[in-house]
Amino acid sequence: MTRILDVQELVAGYEPGLSIVKGASIHADEGEIVVILGPNGAGKSSLIKAIAGLVPVTGGQVLLDGVPITATPAHLMVRRGLAFVPQTENIFPLLTVQENLAVAGGILPRATVPARIDEMFGMFPDLARQRRLLAGSLSGGQRQMLAVARALIVHPRVLMLDEPSAGLSPKFVEMVFARLGEIRRAGLTIVLVEQNARAALAIGDRAYVLAEGREAHEGPAATLWNDPVIAELYLGHRKAS
Amino acid sequence: MIDLLSYGAFFLSTALIFGIITLGLNLQWGLTGLFNVGIAGFFAIGAYASAILTTPEVADRIGGFGLPIAVGWLGAMALAGLAAAITGIATLRLKADYLAITTFGVAVVVQLVMLNAEALTGGPFGVAFIPRPFAGVQDQPVLFNALNLMVVAGVTLAIYLALEHLSRSPWGRVLRALREDERAAISLGKSARSYRVQAFAAGGAVMGLAGAVQAHFIGFIAPDNYLPTLTFQVWAMLMVGGSGSNRGAVLGSIVVWAIWVGSGAATAALVPGDWQARAAALQIVAIGVMLCLILLWRPQGFFGPRRGRM
Amino acid sequence: MSLQFILDGLINGSMIGLGAIGVTLTYAILRFSNFAHGDLMAWGAYATLALVSGIAALAGAAAPIGALSFGWPMIVAALGGMALTGLLALALDWLLFARLRDRGQAIIIVMASFGASMALRSLLEFLFTSSPVYYSRAIQMAMPVGLGIRVTPDQIALLVVTLALVLGMHLFMTRSQTGREMRAYSQNPALARVVGIDVARIVRATWLIGAALACAAGIMVGILVQIRPLMGLDMLLPMFAAAILGGIGSIPGAVLAGLIIGLSEAATVQLIGAEWRAAVAFAILMAVLFIRPMGLFGVAER
Repeated sequence: MTRILDVQELVAGYEPGLSIVKGASIHADEGEIVVILGPNGAGKSSLIKAIAGLVPVTGGQVLLDGVPITATPAHLMVRRGLAFVPQTENIFPLLTVQENLAVAGGILPRATVPARIDEMFGMFPDLARQRRLLAGSLSGGQRQMLAVARALIVHPRVLMLDEPSAGLSPKFVEMVFARLGEIRRAGLTIVLVEQNARAALAIGDRAYVLAEGREAHEGPAATLWNDPVIAELYLGHRKAS
Repeated sequence: MIDLLSYGAFFLSTALIFGIITLGLNLQWGLTGLFNVGIAGFFAIGAYASAILTTPEVADRIGGFGLPIAVGWLGAMALAGLAAAITGIATLRLKADYLAITTFGVAVVVQLVMLNAEALTGGPFGVAFIPRPFAGVQDQPVLFNALNLMVVAGVTLAIYLALEHLSRSPWGRVLRALREDERAAISLGKSARSYRVQAFAAGGAVMGLAGAVQAHFIGFIAPDNYLPTLTFQVWAMLMVGGSGSNRGAVLGSIVVWAIWVGSGAATAALVPGDWQARAAALQIVAIGVMLCLILLWRPQGFFGPRRGRM
Repeated sequence: MSLQFILDGLINGSMIGLGAIGVTLTYAILRFSNFAHGDLMAWGAYATLALVSGIAALAGAAAPIGALSFGWPMIVAALGGMALTGLLALALDWLLFARLRDRGQAIIIVMASFGASMALRSLLEFLFTSSPVYYSRAIQMAMPVGLGIRVTPDQIALLVVTLALVLGMHLFMTRSQTGREMRAYSQNPALARVVGIDVARIVRATWLIGAALACAAGIMVGILVQIRPLMGLDMLLPMFAAAILGGIGSIPGAVLAGLIIGLSEAATVQLIGAEWRAAVAFAILMAVLFIRPMGLFGVAER
């Protein structure tokens, strides 16, 4: 299997001397869904933001298809094939649904954009029906779908999502994760940070548990879920999740 | 020698009046982080308020109450403080830029009122015969200027001590805390706003007092004294001195005023007559550039606290 | 009562509106109120004047177009002036604003714009003195157009130009990729980077557009009134008031608010007296801040 994303000993933080990510190493192979779990404050969110170029990196490196992309400016990451969906405020509320897609399509050859937008609408029929509405008027689940569509429009190699289930009702969580499963079957590699361990591990292939800024455990999603020690220590009470 | 002494006292009095304004600005900006681009307006409000209260009655002008100078000073502080309070109330619940824009507008409107409300302000000709303290010794310039300097220096010292005391008081600590942490300020909401309005009004009152002191020092005021250039000068004084430091505010005023007067005298002596106006424009360019350079390279000023504001 | 004030107000309001577009874009995208915007206007007017004079010196006097007071050199010079004003704005950004932007603290940038404004304006006074100059000394006859309103050919031409510029701006912001990116960036700068928008390009576009429109407004003032170093400073308060009344970031809002302020000023001149005109923008500004600080088309601050 081809290794698409390879993060080696990454150190990152907002302020010098105050690292939040402390030497984390993770990887993702082609067509894999990799889930990153961990307690609050473990640095999950900072880790993928650092990979995406949004948190200053002070050590280690990130390889995409074997090419170093460490600390590439955030706006060039999509051009390298790394798309990121932030947890909140991940759409432009005062642009229409269609404009949200068009704005993200700016890095594609101009002539191909309209057709690519239509492909996205084909994948997300709900959005197609609301293409002329302001994105700010969409429901939480639809916003999340728009954010995913916006990230996919540029044909990324890797899609990274920061807690896509946050703030969604259980019905929408199910829908979003079902969608991510479909997208993976189309061949995309997905890296997912989640609090909702159950839903994420259900679609994930492999998972990492992060603690104190680096990976503490790694394993197939199914075994991780059933490991009593890990469930106890890192995934919270199993009954609660 | 006598002339030089007399001029020295005159120079220092003028510089210290700027020092008082700069102290007021330091309370607004240095301590509280509130941006004021209408300094000339608040300064003018104080000058006119005191002039109207203290001048003898004139036929074609409202006012002329002939009240004591001290009453004029209090009136100046009250009116300028009130204007600043209203400005603050209108804008301090909004983004910082709105305060800046509004103060700019205040200066524009004050300038209009000075020019056009002739019945109150005397229009372009301004107000004359403003009572001067120690008018009895006016024919002895050294003594007269020295006495005036003592008054101005006394006021400066009093304001300086009062502001030093205030900035160390719990009130001042709250203001500093609000400035450092914008989010805390927003979450405190109404009470934070009220602290800021108080600081802005107090700063405005100090500027108004400076206006009154200057009006009685010169004895004559007109709209031309209160052009936007004055606002620029005061900002340059505070930035040179170092915002946040009251000592720096006073020192900065003296230094910048000395540079201003010195370069003015140099151009008057060296530049031929028809180029004088252009040379004066270049003087202002220099202040503008200096302000920008300080912001870029030495935001803490030259006499300010070591720790930078930025 | 004469209805002439309506025309005067529309003309005046067009100039305010064109200037306010730049103010509102700068605020929405670069996140600071630019006190030097009025001076870009004055610099644009003088740059155009210099180009007109240069063309006249090289190519000789050109005949005016139809009944207008100016000929083709003016149009060429206007385009050149807009480009030069854009370059001036980019230079200012590179020298000053970009460096301060990297450090955060928006209000420091406002202060820097204030210092830059003073320097720019006085530099004009140094170069051209404070006495007014004109593009043309020709006197235009005003034609009656009914209802007691009289209008000069220049006024009609400039109203048409304003309309074209505003429509063009609106189409640019809604239809072009750069326009969409500018709107996206103003809504969420962090997300804009994530979706691949090049911030440096957006900043450049904002300065170029704002400066070019400021120059256009300055040329209008120059053609219809006169060119003075202080012309920009005098327009600053009406432009700020229009940007806030229209709602920060809204181009139609800025233009409509510009017209409202222009008309109010013209009505004030007729009803109260020309000397109080400059107070109108302040009165409107205060009213907006107290009643509806988000402006006509604004959205609540995030």
